[in-house]
Amino acid sequence: MPVADDIQSSWADEVEIDQGALPPPSEVVENGLKIVTEYKYDNDNKKVKIVRTYKIEKRVVSKSIAKRKTWSKFGDSANDKPGPNPATTNVSEDVYMQFITSKEESQRTDDGELDGLKPQSSSVIYKCRTCQGEHWTLSCPFKNSEIVMAKANEAAKAAEVKTTTTNKYIAPNLREGAARNLPREPPGPRRDDTTAIRISNLSNFAVEADLDDLVRGFGPVQKLYLAKEKSTGQCKGFAYVHFKFRADAAKAIQTLNGYGYDHLILNVEWSKPPQNN
Amino acid sequence: MKPLMLQGHERAITQIKYNREGDLLFSAAKDAKPNVWWSLNGERLGTFNGHGGVVWCLDVDWQTINLITGGGDSSCRLWDLETGKNIATIKTNSSVRTCNFSYSAYQAAYTTDKAMRHPCEVFIIDTRTVDDSISSQSPILKWEITDSKVTSMVWGTLDETIITGHEAGDLIQWDLRTGKKIHSVKEHNHQINDMQLSRDGTMFITASKDQTAKLFDTSSLELLKEYKTERPVNSAALSPILDHVVLGGGQDAMEVTTTSTRQGKFDARFFHLVFEEEFGRVKGHFGPINSLAFHPDGKSYASGGEDGYVRVQSFDQSYFDYTFDYNRD
Repeated sequence: MPVADDIQSSWADEVEIDQGALPPPSEVVENGLKIVTEYKYDNDNKKVKIVRTYKIEKRVVSKSIAKRKTWSKFGDSANDKPGPNPATTNVSEDVYMQFITSKEESQRTDDGELDGLKPQSSSVIYKCRTCQGEHWTLSCPFKNSEIVMAKANEAAKAAEVKTTTTNKYIAPNLREGAARNLPREPPGPRRDDTTAIRISNLSNFAVEADLDDLVRGFGPVQKLYLAKEKSTGQCKGFAYVHFKFRADAAKAIQTLNGYGYDHLILNVEWSKPPQNN
Repeated sequence: MKPLMLQGHERAITQIKYNREGDLLFSAAKDAKPNVWWSLNGERLGTFNGHGGVVWCLDVDWQTINLITGGGDSSCRLWDLETGKNIATIKTNSSVRTCNFSYSAYQAAYTTDKAMRHPCEVFIIDTRTVDDSISSQSPILKWEITDSKVTSMVWGTLDETIITGHEAGDLIQWDLRTGKKIHSVKEHNHQINDMQLSRDGTMFITASKDQTAKLFDTSSLELLKEYKTERPVNSAALSPILDHVVLGGGQDAMEVTTTSTRQGKFDARFFHLVFEEEFGRVKGHFGPINSLAFHPDGKSYASGGEDGYVRVQSFDQSYFDYTFDYNRD
């Protein structure tokens, strides 16, 4: 601080003067630690205090190394103080080795970042809902064959079980024999919905991150969509999740349907293709 | 572990090396001042000021008394390590691409580029007494390389041979008594960027722009192992204590700006020496790695990148606990 003049300066000036002087740097050595404190101005002209803590270690080394330790610095480092100069030596953030166990995995990590952007398979983006083959359901060779029958039977059985075990109210569209159980022709080339699930009865305060937390454990997710009110940005109470694999989606439905989340009971089902109007 | 980041250079690192005991780490870059660091805490011991341009290569003798550097300013220089003084300067016709002391440091070899109507040449000089007389002394042996130029070089066993790696991918072993070829193999089909000996000198590893690194027998140049990647390999080093190999590389510097860091694949990759399979990666640089070196105790390694940083990374316990699972089918 400069010595005060005879003329009383205004408080605003005093702040200015205060800023001009930086406290002197200090160096303290105590219990094996060296603590260096410095002050400087950052880019926004704000005063910054920098505290660096060094651990002092003693090591036993061979004679030749010990002799080299006595060498004095030269070249551009000639004026450096003993110890690392922060201008040239820094400790960077922790970096850990990532272990790779097999070849397939190494390839997966290679293009993992772009996976989400690629179409699911190279050229075929549709899948038969009867036999999961790479053709339209309409042209399925197993159409009207045993598989379809078996499936229909299964569906009927499942519906039976449902009606017998629950006494709860069931919405008309969910009731046995409702339109969703009937095989429907795909309306045209659209996104593969076979791996998509619909989560409803979500709380109004749910955000994408909550949803992500909820479904991430089941497998790789292709797309998350949380329906939101346009004006308020609040959740409308339902969301769609596209998994990469159908098996993961099935697992998610099994676990999450009826799961209590945010004081509400979730309702999870397969996503229905859009209605044909 | 937290890596040490050494920021002594303004431009891309060209070569880094530890001395025999591993207490000092040397780095050369495309700026004119090679640096020397204490490897333990990253403190800079000094810089070697004198070159007038890119420094392509450096080597330190086994007693850590002298340093030899070669650069794009058409000179090969010898330095006193204790004071950092330039003892001798050998003027050459074109830039010096590689330079190495022999194990005994009684001799040193350096090679020059084919440029400015001068051929690529190999020089062997006497370095038993390092003083100013070396500047004017004529080499013990020198010979011309007529085909593709030398891009890397190591000394063979007992200081009797040197092995050169060429721009076209050839490896040639030379007899130092006659300056004649003993063996010549062509296992790489692109430039050999780096060659490093194993701890006992019986094997060496090459790093090539053809996206592979290969392990050779030093005396017969027999190909022993191959490590494949999907990017040019700029440097490869052999662990002195474990059967591990570390590879560093990345796409060409000129292509870096057009792709994301993740895609650039700038991490150091660890392969098993025998099974040729990758088992680990370490991230860090945001440009290709140009040079790698294992600490002689095998417990840390250093990498120098196109980004101008040298990173000294100590291994965590997990690295030493890791065992390569080879019972798998």
